[in-house]
Amino acid sequence: MDFKSDKFMYFLGALVVVFVVAQSVFFLVRAWKRGKALGLSTDALKKTVSSSALFTVAPALAILATVLTLSGALGMVLPWIRLTVIGAITYEVPAAEAAIEAFGSTAGLSQEVTDPTVFATIAWVMTLGSIMPLILVPFILKKIQKGLGKVAAKNGKWADVMSAAAFIGLISAFIGRAVAGSGDKVVIGDGAGVMSIAALLSSMLFMFILQKLADRFNLKWLQPFAMPFSMILAMVVVMILAQVLPHDIAVLEWRG
Amino acid sequence: MKNRDYAASVHFYGIIWDITALLLFILVPVAICVHLGVWPQGSYVLKGLLPVAMLFYPTSVIEVFTYTPLLGAGGTYLSFVTGNITNLKLPCGLNAMENAGVRANSEEGEVISTIAIATSSIVTTIIIAVGVVAFSPVLPYLTDENSIFAPAFNQVVPALFGALGISYFMKHWKISIVPVAAIILILLVNGEIASGVLIPVGVVISLVSAHLMFKKGLLDDKTEKAEKSEKAE
Repeated sequence: MDFKSDKFMYFLGALVVVFVVAQSVFFLVRAWKRGKALGLSTDALKKTVSSSALFTVAPALAILATVLTLSGALGMVLPWIRLTVIGAITYEVPAAEAAIEAFGSTAGLSQEVTDPTVFATIAWVMTLGSIMPLILVPFILKKIQKGLGKVAAKNGKWADVMSAAAFIGLISAFIGRAVAGSGDKVVIGDGAGVMSIAALLSSMLFMFILQKLADRFNLKWLQPFAMPFSMILAMVVVMILAQVLPHDIAVLEWRG
Repeated sequence: MKNRDYAASVHFYGIIWDITALLLFILVPVAICVHLGVWPQGSYVLKGLLPVAMLFYPTSVIEVFTYTPLLGAGGTYLSFVTGNITNLKLPCGLNAMENAGVRANSEEGEVISTIAIATSSIVTTIIIAVGVVAFSPVLPYLTDENSIFAPAFNQVVPALFGALGISYFMKHWKISIVPVAAIILILLVNGEIASGVLIPVGVVISLVSAHLMFKKGLLDDKTEKAEKSEKAE
């Protein structure tokens, strides 16, 4: 049996999964209790859970797709572990490529890794390269929060504008990339083009319509699902366009 | 007083979980080496690590500073263990706080964002695990470049930020114009800038321009209106 996906590797994967789920359940239960103590309704808390779960489905499938992209070279289990914890495609792909290149191979991830030493090196590089935040967070999180608390105490109104502005800054980065970014060459379809604009605009439009509908007819149940629905509908639009549009228009990316 | 206790306990348990996570993650390559009976030379690991670390260590410092104020304490301890922050955990937390009508820098916001991010982590982990174990034989066909689903998978990020963006822009259009325009201009000059760099740049531009507008009193009516409508909800 292939050493990259033998029983031992699956056992390691299962161990990581159990840890991640245990930590999330731990914080979820504590936050839930605190929410009740603060006077938040059970209904509001339940809605948070159900809308977050639905919201997560499409991005999680995209992550699963990343696992598959990497599985050709690395087998199923290592990418599974790496993308369950910390990992994101923007990091894992260059990390694995760099590790393979260290052995003088230029084929990168396009070829299956068959040498156990190369495989172990990749596992080390992927791990060591990504654990920095876990070292930093325990030391500096409290300090950052204290600083923020001071701003909020001094000027509540500015603190609200500030957090909205920070979100908008983050959102701008991604919207900008969809409109004018060249994208990551490793990831097909990552550059700005017909498809990214189609996804961006249709999801904006669906969100606008769903929110207006929810407001107009006072559909409280629709509110939390407006965003996940818009997202999934926009992806359906992309799928349809990819089938209907002539191929060269569908794959057009203006920044090369 | 109770308020203090919860925040302090989040940090206490958060640090314990994070350090345990760190040890577990390092255990994975150690276990692989023991199991396979190979120990790669340090020089090869370093050679592979160096180019990646040069890019990702500074980025991760920036990430910690940029995201923690947005994620809240509980959300931060969870997010940096499970990753996929910009494309999943952060927007998920924002969406939940928006729906619940709570402010990000309030304790209710902290609670809602923690619940949202914890749920999201659980669901992601389960979907990936089930996908890997159960569907591994069929999935290559779904994600194959020629499958009808492939184009949609490539556009998850724009689809996500389009929906999230419009609800923020509608509420705070005045402070949205400058950062969106600035980022597009920057990308027109150099389209290759990675999102790891673009995000802190966007956040700084947005904060500076919003601060200037705030000082000049340009936001007064808008913020007051927003506050009123929030209360009305």
